[in-house]
Amino acid sequence: MKKQTIAALLAAFALNLLPGPAPIRRAQAALTSAQLVELLKLVDDRQKNNGDWRAAAYLEQKEKDKVDTVYETEYFRRSSDQKFMILFTKPKSSAGQGYLRIDKNLWFYDPSVGKWERRTERERIGGTNSRRSDFDESRLAEEYDPSDEGEEKLGAYTAQKLMLKGKPGQDLAFPVIRIWIDKENKNVLKRQEFALSGRLLRTSYYPKWKKIYSPSKKGDTWYPEEIRFYDEVEKANQTLVMIKSVDPNPLPQNLFTKAWLESKSR
Amino acid sequence: MSTSKLFVDLTIAFRNLVQHRRRTLFLGAAISAVTALLVLLNGLSTGVRETMIDTATTLSTGHVNVGGFYKVTAGQAAPVVTDYKKVLAVVEKTVPEMAFAVHRGRGWAKLVSDTGSMQAGITGIDIRSEPKFSSVLQLESGKLDDLAQPGTILLFDNQAEKLGVKVGDALTISAPTTRGTNNTIDVRVVAIAHSLGLLSTWNCFIPIESLRALYQINQESTGVIQIMLNRKDFDHIPAIAARLRQALDQAGYRIMEPDPRAFWMKFQSVSREDWTGQKLDVTNWEDEISFMTWTLKALQGMSVVLIVILVAIIIIGIMNTMWIAIRERTREIGTLRAIGMHRREVLWMFLLESLMLGLGATIGGVLAGAAIAAGLNAAHLPVPTGLQFFLMSPHLHLSVHGSLMVRSVVLITFITGLAAFYPSLKAARLRPVVAMSHFG
Repeated sequence: MKKQTIAALLAAFALNLLPGPAPIRRAQAALTSAQLVELLKLVDDRQKNNGDWRAAAYLEQKEKDKVDTVYETEYFRRSSDQKFMILFTKPKSSAGQGYLRIDKNLWFYDPSVGKWERRTERERIGGTNSRRSDFDESRLAEEYDPSDEGEEKLGAYTAQKLMLKGKPGQDLAFPVIRIWIDKENKNVLKRQEFALSGRLLRTSYYPKWKKIYSPSKKGDTWYPEEIRFYDEVEKANQTLVMIKSVDPNPLPQNLFTKAWLESKSR
Repeated sequence: MSTSKLFVDLTIAFRNLVQHRRRTLFLGAAISAVTALLVLLNGLSTGVRETMIDTATTLSTGHVNVGGFYKVTAGQAAPVVTDYKKVLAVVEKTVPEMAFAVHRGRGWAKLVSDTGSMQAGITGIDIRSEPKFSSVLQLESGKLDDLAQPGTILLFDNQAEKLGVKVGDALTISAPTTRGTNNTIDVRVVAIAHSLGLLSTWNCFIPIESLRALYQINQESTGVIQIMLNRKDFDHIPAIAARLRQALDQAGYRIMEPDPRAFWMKFQSVSREDWTGQKLDVTNWEDEISFMTWTLKALQGMSVVLIVILVAIIIIGIMNTMWIAIRERTREIGTLRAIGMHRREVLWMFLLESLMLGLGATIGGVLAGAAIAAGLNAAHLPVPTGLQFFLMSPHLHLSVHGSLMVRSVVLITFITGLAAFYPSLKAARLRPVVAMSHFG
């Protein structure tokens, strides 16, 4: 087994998310389609904010034979029209760069050239293994059809394992996802994302979840405080995302504009 | 002027040249050397250009191309030509000069091996319909024919080294499909070819069926139709491209504005535009390798500078030698003028000598240049790795054509005559009395 794989396993073990050695599957009645969809809706709903959202995200990318890259960003989103924006604040060389989603287009701005480029929705953020969708609201029930794969122990947690297949007509970065949902609190613990060919591309772990009171939702909104992405094609590559300073209060109306993002680098 | 008179003049000129043997040999050798150098410089420039065309038109472009982009959404452009057989029908009807056409898939993906990874341009080809492919590539290992099997790949040695793979090893190719969904295919390395410089650095080949599977495009779609022409039609490429653009427009296709850049350099501008659906792009080979034709232009520029310097040296050398000759032969000129030779006949005599010397020396120089070029080609002189990157060939190749040889002879002989004209004119204007009394 390679060094990197061992490192990934140790990390997962430390996070207490590895399947336990004891009974992997418990005998239980399979959930019906309707129950599975309800479960997905519940997962989505726990993470939905139904309003504005502002948070800071720390991104750390490790790649084989390359120097580690670290970014500090602020990201903003608005549920009503699915607007989304990321502003890079550190390092200095990337400060002022940003992504802005307007309608169904994702734009990238680089202040060093002063140009906007249209990018694909599935763009790797800052060249890391994280995607825009990783920072956005969860829409699993809208985008995927679930099937039950039973229960599984992930360390100390008992998880409901689902296989999700992309609904026809949906343009998804990952057409097939396997997901482990905490039976107790319905938070996602682990995801495996597959290519069209069926090959496993990325495994993500969600070891820490936090909740915050959202005035727009008039209830608690859950968000993953830490996400670890492991590239399954290039085994040595991994990305750590840490989300902090979450603020679910309303944002200024003119925030999601090219002019606002440009002004941040002037 | 009668033929017998011309013959007499030629005989006199020849005898004069023989009479001043040392000077003739010295000047003749200089002119020959300059001519040989001119031939070699031009041969190098032509050789690089031909190698570049041959390599580029085999690896990455046709002489004329019909490519384009298909946009599922405004921000998502894929280098795809849909329903390519209909486009090919228009091409066949519009370009009777076409020698043959091939279609290839285009893509950009990540190659991942057990020990490394790299981003590379992926070209999907049908090896059975690629008549020139095997003549340009030099295989280091493996078999080119195996590329006909699905799930295979041809790499260049620098790529294989970076990925740490050899023939028989497996690779994963990972890329988003035209709709942005991530996909992978597993391929087996069946051939590794020697590097062909810049174009082979980022380019590798897989069967077009495998490329279609990776990008999830149907059988009726391809990346580009590459039109190959015969050498005699190379000068008409811009006219053929313009004609094709017009014909495709009339056939109802949306055509992109002419843009002399490689297709992969257009992604940003195409993505910025708001249209969706298919747009075709007609380009020529120079457009597709525009990012590297500067090497050719630099070489040609350098050749021109060197040629100008060499020509200046010839002119100064000949004029100087003629001045010396006229000074030495002033009394002879005076005698000839005294016994009735006209001024223009004196001018003609000196000019004829120069032209005869120029002609003989340039013919010798051209033959020497051609022989050296042939020798260098036969020796298969290896080019330093850094230079291979731009020359796109592991060996030095000089291309000396008959037309180049004739042009060199005519040019240098003419320059020789031109350089001799003023001193000859001065000689013809000497007054007989002054000339005959000249000492020294």
